[in-house]
Formats: sequence, structure tokens, C-alpha cells
Amino acid sequence: MVKSPTVKLLAPDACATLSHKCATIFVSAAISMLAASCSSEPRALQGIVRDSPLHVEEVSLPDVSNTGDGETPFTMRAATGELLFVYFGYTSCPDLCPTTLATWKAALRQVGDDAARVDTVFVTVDAARDTAEILNGYVGSFVDRYHVLRTTDPAELQSALDAFLAAATIETAADGKVEVSHTTVAYMVDDRGDVIVEWPFGTNADAMSGDLKILLEDVRQRI
Amino acid sequence: MKGSNMKTRKLSIGVLGVIAVLALGSCSSDSETITVDGAWARTSPMNTELGAVYMNITAAEDDALVSATVDSSVAMSASVHETTMNADGTMAMQEVEKVALPAGTAVSFEPGGYHIMLMGLNQPLSLGDTVTVTLTFESGESVSVDAEVRDQAP
Repeated sequence: MVKSPTVKLLAPDACATLSHKCATIFVSAAISMLAASCSSEPRALQGIVRDSPLHVEEVSLPDVSNTGDGETPFTMRAATGELLFVYFGYTSCPDLCPTTLATWKAALRQVGDDAARVDTVFVTVDAARDTAEILNGYVGSFVDRYHVLRTTDPAELQSALDAFLAAATIETAADGKVEVSHTTVAYMVDDRGDVIVEWPFGTNADAMSGDLKILLEDVRQRI
Repeated sequence: MKGSNMKTRKLSIGVLGVIAVLALGSCSSDSETITVDGAWARTSPMNTELGAVYMNITAAEDDALVSATVDSSVAMSASVHETTMNADGTMAMQEVEKVALPAGTAVSFEPGGYHIMLMGLNQPLSLGDTVTVTLTFESGESVSVDAEVRDQAP
């Protein structure tokens, strides 16, 4: 008899006392993990793994990182043997975005030297307010190795969001207040351009770093 | 209807309070019923003038948080916000008029839920700083909270 793998339900600190919102996320995460555990890769990944991974290599967006040349677009595929962390957000976001990026920073620290094989990609969903300068300073506050992507073409942003099955909307109220809704999932993309794990908001640093170690070993073995 | 119930209740609490004070004689005249613990603010990333303060608030009697203020030397304004999830799975935050505090239940202000948002920070919130916000409650009580600036929740 094949012993079915243990599926551990996430109980991130940040969500320990959160209401039904998190419950919904984690129930769906658990279902996805159960589904994944029935497929060919019975591993202890804590994030969401799809049976058929999203392929995002076709997504290419303008790279406005200080480190880039300002001309070469960034393509959603990690370098060989490496991984990409991808997040859609905006810098005028005091709660969700910094929470996720701070958790990600802590996870990278936990991984140690091997974290050098991970690149961080922040795609702004608010190009109107997020200039290249703002984006570089903001994301650079969390990680040293990153790419900040910014397109002023709504259709181009939408097709990138679509590839990740993500969404974002921006509405400006009559009083000038800007309200942004966005998917708050963090994605790990491998060197084939596949999304290999998705971390819903509230996933803690231990869960992220645990997954990251497994995934980094996977991509290393494929070299 | 609700308002008048509230008044009746407040009145009876007031009467009880007076009785208690009379009974105890030298008891402090403070009528503080709000307890705040675990207050912290996240370090603000570069190039943003926004901050968020988190904490747990417990009210001894049914109450509600109705507003938050911050000294103008720290930020232009403070407000009470809630992050919620939309039907399509996206998340957004909005200002809330009040946050109900049922008697004796700790209500968490934490990432992904309620938070005190600071707007127009005069300077970044840096590790080790302390930021003070003043919370005002429906009961009229007002509490100053010192929040330690940290990278992660305590």
C-alpha cells in the first residue's frame, strides 16, 4: 500500500486569528494540496501546487530596474538552475504588499546562501503612481536582487495578469481616493517558465523557506 | 432604537460605576475599560509615505473603535482601515467607520485585516522607533498607544 503523504494545513501566524477570509484561502489551499498529493509528486510543499502548472514564459514586461538597461523587457522565466518570486502589487499599499515582501525577505534569510539563486520580480499594477524610481527604492528596501516591471499599457498588464490567473483593478473615487484591488498570491516560477508553487497571502516565512529549499534542490538536479 | 438601548446601557454602566466607586471609596477615578497589547508598526519601505500599525484591543464593556489620530510630527493623518477579500479573490483595503469591540474579546488588528493606516509620514518608520497613535472609542474613552517599529509581527 502506498502511504499517502501527510498534507499539512498552513496555520500562518499572520492568519492565526483571522476570520473566514483566511479560512477560505487555506481550505482551498488544502484542497489544492490534496489534489496535488494525489498526482505524481507527493512532496511536502506547503503552498498551492496545480496539477497542470501555469506556463508564464510568454509574459514579457518592461523592466525598469536600476540594474537593467531600460530597453530589454523581462521574461517570466528563471535563469537555469534558479527560481523567480513574482508578485503583483503597488507601493502605496501599507498592509498587504509590505507584509508579503517582509515575509519573503525573512524566508530568503532562512534559506541562507542558496537564496542567491532566487530573483524577485515585482510587477506594479499602479503604473500611474509607481514610477521607476519609486519602485526601485521600494522593492530594494526588501531584497538586493530584484526586477521591477512597469507597463503603462493596460492591455499588456492584463495579459500578464491573465497568464498568472491574477487580477487587479484601480478605481479613483470622486474625492480623489484611489482604491486598488489586487491578487495577493506570490508565485514561484522555475527555469522552464512554469509556476511551480503559489503562496496565498498569510503564508508564513517558515512555509515559504521550506518550500523554497525543496524547489531549489529540484531545479539544481535538473541542470 | 439601537441608540436608545445604548444610552440605557451606558447609563446603567455609569450607575454601576458610581456604586463601585462609592463602595471602594478610594478607588481611582479612571474609568478605563480598554486594554491594548502587542502594538507594533511595520518599518516603512523607501519611497512610501504610508505606514500601518497593528495591535490587539480588548474592551471590558461592549465598545467600538471610532477613530485614530497621530501627532502631526509623525504623519499627516491616521485612519482605521480594513483589508478584505473580494469575490474574485483579489484583496483591497478601505477606511472603516468603526470597529466593534465586543466585551472581553480581544480584537486583532493584524496584516490582512484591520490596521491603523498612517498617511503622509514625515520620515520613514525605522527599526526600533516608537510611534504613538491615539485611539478614540465610542464610549468616549481615548487611549494613547506606543507601537514599536519592527520588520515582522512580534
